[in-house]
Formats: sequence, C-alpha cells, structure tokens
Amino acid sequence: MKRPLALVPLAALLALPACRKDEAGSALTLAMMPKNKGNPYFVSCRKGAEEAARELGVRLLWDGPTETDPAKQNEVVEAWITRGVDVLAVSVENKEAISTALRRARQKGIKVLTFDADAEPDARDFFVNQATPQGIAHTLMDRAAGLMGGEGQFAIVTASLTAANQNEWIAHIKARLGEKYPRIELVDVRPSDDDRQRAFSETQTLLKVHPKVKLVMAVASPAVPGAAEAVKQSGRTDVRVIGLGLPNACKPYIHDGVVESIVLWNTMDLGYLTVRAGHALATGALAAGADGLDAGRLGRVEVRGDNVLLGTPFTFTRENVDQFDF
Amino acid sequence: MPPERAQPWGNSSHEAVLALIVLGEVVVFSLLGTNFLSLGNAAEVLRAATPVGLLALALTPVIVSGGIDLSVGSLLGFSAVVLGELWRDGGVPLGTAVPLTLALGAAAGALNALLVARLRMPALIVTLGTFSLFRGLAEGLTAGVENYTGFPAGFLRLGQGYLLGAIPTQALVLVAAAALYGVLLHASVAGRALYAIGFSPEGARHAGLPVGRRLALVYVLSGVMAALAGLVYVAYLGQAKADAGTGYELTAITAVVLGGTSIFGGRGTIHGTLLGVAALAVLHNGLRLADLPTEMAGVLTGLLLVAAILARRWLAGERTTT
Amino acid sequence: MLAALAVLAPSFHQGGNWRDILVGNAPLLLSATGMTLVVLTRHIDISIGSQFAICGVVAGLLAKAGLPMAAVAFGTVGAGLAMGGVNALLVAFLGLPSIVATLATMVALREGLRWATQGAWVENLPAGFQWFGAGQAAGRWLIVAVALAVFTAMAWALTHLRAGRAVYATGSDAEAARLLGVPARATTALVFVVLGGLNALAALLSAVQFIDVQAGAGLGLELKVIAAVVVGGTAITGGRGTALGTLLGVALLGTLGPALTFLGSHAYWERALQGAIILAAVATDALSGRGGSSRPVDVSPESARAA
Repeated sequence: MKRPLALVPLAALLALPACRKDEAGSALTLAMMPKNKGNPYFVSCRKGAEEAARELGVRLLWDGPTETDPAKQNEVVEAWITRGVDVLAVSVENKEAISTALRRARQKGIKVLTFDADAEPDARDFFVNQATPQGIAHTLMDRAAGLMGGEGQFAIVTASLTAANQNEWIAHIKARLGEKYPRIELVDVRPSDDDRQRAFSETQTLLKVHPKVKLVMAVASPAVPGAAEAVKQSGRTDVRVIGLGLPNACKPYIHDGVVESIVLWNTMDLGYLTVRAGHALATGALAAGADGLDAGRLGRVEVRGDNVLLGTPFTFTRENVDQFDF
Repeated sequence: MPPERAQPWGNSSHEAVLALIVLGEVVVFSLLGTNFLSLGNAAEVLRAATPVGLLALALTPVIVSGGIDLSVGSLLGFSAVVLGELWRDGGVPLGTAVPLTLALGAAAGALNALLVARLRMPALIVTLGTFSLFRGLAEGLTAGVENYTGFPAGFLRLGQGYLLGAIPTQALVLVAAAALYGVLLHASVAGRALYAIGFSPEGARHAGLPVGRRLALVYVLSGVMAALAGLVYVAYLGQAKADAGTGYELTAITAVVLGGTSIFGGRGTIHGTLLGVAALAVLHNGLRLADLPTEMAGVLTGLLLVAAILARRWLAGERTTT
Repeated sequence: MLAALAVLAPSFHQGGNWRDILVGNAPLLLSATGMTLVVLTRHIDISIGSQFAICGVVAGLLAKAGLPMAAVAFGTVGAGLAMGGVNALLVAFLGLPSIVATLATMVALREGLRWATQGAWVENLPAGFQWFGAGQAAGRWLIVAVALAVFTAMAWALTHLRAGRAVYATGSDAEAARLLGVPARATTALVFVVLGGLNALAALLSAVQFIDVQAGAGLGLELKVIAAVVVGGTAITGGRGTALGTLLGVALLGTLGPALTFLGSHAYWERALQGAIILAAVATDALSGRGGSSRPVDVSPESARAA
C-alpha cells in the first residue's frame, strides 16, 4: 500500500480550509483589482483601501494580475461575478477587453466602479478619477519645459512598450509638445518593462547616445528611481529627472537634486476613496446625479457627472516630499 | 524500444492520480468556494482555459517526439496583431484574414520545423530564438502601441458567445482540436512514429521512419494551433495587442508535463494533457472563488509538478514489482 | 560587430560606456558561468530568475537588520546555495528531469516571494549597502573585479580540477562516467548548488548598485542567461563548451542592447533583432558542423580516468 504518496497534493489542498475562516457573513463585499499586484503604486493604493474597509466594516477582496497578461483581468472579473460580490472596483489595463466583462457584471446587479484608469462609460457606474491622462501629460510636459528653459532635447523612459496607460500619456505629451513647445525635441522613448534595473541601464545608454539630453522623463513608478540612479551615477549634474513616481522610492533622489519633482496623486487616498465610493454606491448614498460624496477623512469630495474626483495631480518636490509616506 | 510501449495504458496510473487531484480540487473548492460548483462557473473555467489548452495540445506531440516549442506564446501574440493589422489597416475581410493568419502560423511553425527537423538544431534553442523573434515582430509591427479593437460581433462570438445557452463557443474549438490531436497521436501511423522518435531518434531513423518529415509536421501544426489560439484570444478579449499570450508557453508546458508527458519524449497522452490543463485551470479559479491568495496557485503548482511525477514513478515501480 | 560599431557609432567606444557595460553585465556573467556548468552536465535550470529575486530581497533584509556587509554577502550566497540545493535534491537524488524540477521551483519560488512581499520594495537601507560602502568609483570596479575573479577561478577549475573534468564526463555520458568512477550524481548535485551560489552572488552584485531592493527582479533572467551560454557555443546536449565561450556570449548579448540604441534603432524592433541574432549564431554553429567558438573536449575513457 504505497498509494498514500499520490495523496500528497490532495492533502496539501485539503489543508487549505485551515487558511480560511469565514467571518461576518452579511458584510458588504467589495472586490478591488489593480492593474498589477506587484507594482508599488498599487501596493500603496491597497493600504488606503484597507484603511477604508476597516472603518466601514467592508469585506475587501484584493486580487489582480501579477504579470502583464491582459486576459488575466477578465479572468478575475469573471470569477468575481461567479463568486458574487456586491461591488467591483477595477483599475483598467485594457479598456476594450474588460468592458465586456464589466457590462456582464452590471447585468447581474453588481455595482461597478473603475479607479485609476477608466473603462468605457457604459461599463461602470462611476469612475474614481485621480487625474485625466491629459492632465497628467500636460503637468509633466509643462514642468519639463519649465526646467529646460523651453528648448533642447529630452527622452522618455516608459513601462513596457505595450503598456496602455503609458502609451496614452505619451500620446498626450507628444501632442502638447507639438502645440506649445516647438523648440523642444523628444529624442527617444525607451522601455523599462516595469523593472528598475532595465530603466537604469536604458537611461545610462540614453545619456551617452544623446549627450545633449537635458531631461529624462520616467513615466512608470519603478522607472523613476532607475533613471535617477543612472543620472546620479553618471555624475551629470546638468541632467534632471522628473516623472510619475512614488514619494518613498524617490525621496533620496529628490533630496540629492537629481530628481527635480515627481507628479502623482496620493495613491493611498485613491484606494481609500475608491472603497468609500464603493460603499456609498452599494448603500445608495452615491447615485447618478450626485454632486458630492462624504468620504471619511477626505471630507466632502466633488462628484462631477459620473466621475468621483480625487483632486488634481500633486507635485512632490524637495519642500514637501517628507510629509508623505507611501 | 518498440513504440507499442507508448500506448496510453502505459500512463493510466498517472492519469488516475491526476484525475484524483482534479477531483480533489473540485471537492475542496466546492466546500471553500462560493458558487464554485455551478454550470456557469464550469463554462467560465473552460472559456479561460481554452487558449492555453490549445497551446498545451499543440505541445503534447512536440514533447512526445522529444522536442519543445517555447515560441507558442509569442506566436499567439504575433498572430493576433497580424489578424488585427490585416483586418483593420489592410482592409482584408475577416473571412480572408482568418485563414491568412492561420497560414502565417503554419509558416512560423515551418521556420521552427526547418531549423529543428532539417538542420537538426536543438529545439530548445531554436524556439528560444523564435520566442524572441515572434514577440519582437509583433512589437515591431505595432510599435508596441497599436491595439486593434472593434471586431464585428460575429467574430467576437467565437470567444464570447454561448451555444445552447451554456456552452462557451471556444470550448467547441478546444474539443475539436483535442479530438484531432487524439487521432493524430493515438490512432495514426504518424503518431506511433512520434513516440518512436521520442524514444530514440537514431533508432527511428534506422527503422526507416521519415523522422524529419514527422518532426516537421508537429512543429508546423504547433504554429497553426498557436495562431488558432491567437484568434480565440482576440475574440475572447475583443482586442489584439502585441503583448497577447505573454508567458503562456510556460503554463502550457506545465500542463503538458503535469499531464504525464515525459519531457524527454516517448511518453504522453492527449487526455493526460487535458487533465493537466483542467488541474491548473480549476486551481486558479477555485482559489479565487475561495478568496484565497492567488500566489498560492504558483506554490501549489510547483508542488503538484513534483508530486505528480514522484507518484507516477512510485506507482509504476509498484506495478513492475508485483 | 565591435568594428562595425567603431565606424557607425564611434561614441560607442567611449570609456564610460565600456565601464557601464562591464558593471551592468558582471552579474549576468556569474549566473551564466554557473549555468554553463549545469548545461555541460546536460541539465538546465530555469529557476534562476526567481532565485535572483529572492536573493536580492534577502540581501536587502539582512542589510536592513543591521548586519555588516560581509555577513550580508554570506547570508545571500547561503540562501542561493540552499535553493540550488533544493534543485540538486530534486534532479540528482530524486531523478526528476531538470527542466521540470526547475520549472516547479521557478513558479513556486516566484509566487512564494510575491506572496511574502506583496511586491513591496526593501527601502531605507543603510548607507553602507550601496557599493558595499566603498563609494561609487571603487564600488564599480570592485563589482567587476569580484565577477572576473570568480569567473577566472571557475574557468580554471573547470579545466584543471578533477571536479571540472567530472562535469564534462557526466554530461558526455553519465552512464559511462559512472562506470569509470566519476561520481555522476554528486557532480550533478554540485553544479546546481554552485549555480545557486554564483547566481546569489550575481543578485548581490546587482542589488548593491542601488540604494534599495526591488522585489520583482530577475524576470526572464533564465532565458537571457541560457541564450548567452548557448550563443557562447556550449552544446545544450551536454559535454561540450567552455567558460570562455560563455564570456563571449555574455559580451555579445550584453553589448547588443546598448549597441542597437547607439545605432539609433527603434526600441520596438529590438526584441526581434535579438531573436534573429540568437538564431543566426546557433545556425552558423550548426551549419559549420561543429561549435565555432567551442572547443571539443576529450572525454575518452583515458582522459576521464586520468581526471
């Protein structure tokens, strides 16, 4: 009787029940999905979401892709539809792909929110909007132009070449460049695959290939410290880095002066507001036509149309960055 | 070694173990998961598993013959964007674009076949090269940015529709492909030859088998299947972008090996592969419905891979000693 | 290729560029050297990317706990040796096919790390972490020196030590090697453990180039390393190849990316070009009959016994 060995994997599975204890059966269940679970941006978002969930007694499910697989988001949404949740909140990686699944969720009576990046308007109830792609792109480009004195070369380090959000921002950056800054030239866009190491070596090479580059714009959160480290190690004090990054990872570089500023919103507040909005949506406190929402420690937050507004993008500089911890 | 040894019965104990594992998953998750045991969920599991399932089917004869194809995930992505490019930018009607995409898959598979079967280069290396090449061509064609959407509803039904109200359309594709591969591997002269080649390519050559042609066949077919998976994928998501199918090759290989196919060739079955695909798909879906961290799936997959092989060996040893 | 670059993009050969490429690829060289040993024994290890990520995080956590850098290095390499040991156990002693065993550890380790860290970086490391506290100028050369010294030692050991020759013998014909008294099983176990250690050192040398540690490092590293080893002329079928070839493979693939940027190619065509170059290198190798850059090794019974 040597069969027991075959049962090892089974035993492993049967051990699972120990890992799960079903608490409060009637609590509101809110399922929230980041674009990428491992990205520090969403890690901090989750902290805020958990804070709000604790305050409201909401059961928060947090799951999403761990790698860049556009099909994964659909798979998770479908599973949550089957499982039955009260509210879905999704940061959308691929608008067209996910909207079909989100519409299905709405048909089944699930309230749907998007946060961070929007789906098609008819696929969700509200969008928790931290900033429009256009707003982000304009803030970044205007800041860059100011630093460069309105002329010269700059380069962009992006996430992966196929990252939907980044590509949208870059398109807006290019448009802004074309209409407002004729004497500034974008010399190259390099990928970093959301890997700090890759952002580092790409920036190193960039600086040598285009020695006249005065500014590197890193538009993905792991790419900012990568680009900053490359500039710092090159010893070039005439090159500045700006971008979309998280304060904690960028603090040392901002104090060094390598990174002049980073543009972002408070990601923890974004998570917090999303859960608040989800709760309000499920309990009827937030419905079509509303013009405001009481969002706990954030106070009263403006609702415009079907957008819940977090506020405008925030610029972190040497003066204020130490006040933030995320 | 004679190809007869490669008949399905040679594996039946392994498949019994695997079936037990799948059953175990189903039992555990029906207890833990919310709405796990429902027709709707079964349909969703099938739907999500189809693209990887098609790749796993394609890889089974490749691995049985002693080879490997790492390029299938990249080719899925390449096919997806070529379909999009032909249809949207080239103005080619889908009725023509679809067969053209499948032909592209065949051509890409033929490149692998040429290098592996004709030039006798190691499959691992060849397909490692085409893994980069195909993904790179997809990125190059689209500059990474292009995302083809707005496909007509008739085409999307392939990936989103239901038959008889409950069966996802792509499940039919999977079943048809499984049947085809089942016949190829288990009921044809060519299939028998593949086992022989997997056991010993030199021996097969000496026995007068057309080794090069048989190998070429499985790599070309693998290309076609990757393109087909690409079509299903595009229809499922409604979009075609260069990152489609990233990393699918590893999931597919995991499913094939979990299904009892020997990575050294010479042994493996289509039903084993299907069970392997099911084991992985149910695991991922079940963990989610049970609100358990999905990282657990990776850890458990690793354990299952090792345990399944050890269990098979143990059972095989037991049988030969009795 | 380098000559072509000299003409087409002379600035490629500026000193700073070479230094950066050397520093950037020093870790890759260590992982590839370890991989060469494993491939020589006719095995493969695809779990090194996951191991690399874990070792980086381990290094960060140890440094954050206030340990001196020597202890951090010790602990990191220890973690690598242990993970290599798990692979060794699965492959050499339980007899699992190496690609399957390391596929299992690859997935399990990567997801295990994700589970544990949830993607959070190890931040606020002590100042002595970056460059081992030696400062940027010295730290860079320290990294290159450590990598080259370890590489040279491994290359020497591979051809001059009994264990090195056992690696070739095991990969050429494990059965024959065993009959000739070469401990094939122990040799196989050894190469996996050595790869684990070298790869951990690589992770450490890579981590100390920054002020904090990212949790998701090393994705796809295994493919890059295997490509370098194979382009360097080591036969995937075992028993044939040299450490020097791997050095050339690392040099080729390591300079390719920057070179393409210097030549002004668009980023989105680079992956395709890399694939084409791997294929071309291997095809040339295959068409020319025998490895261009690899030296056939004498594994006749006499030499194996002499070893």
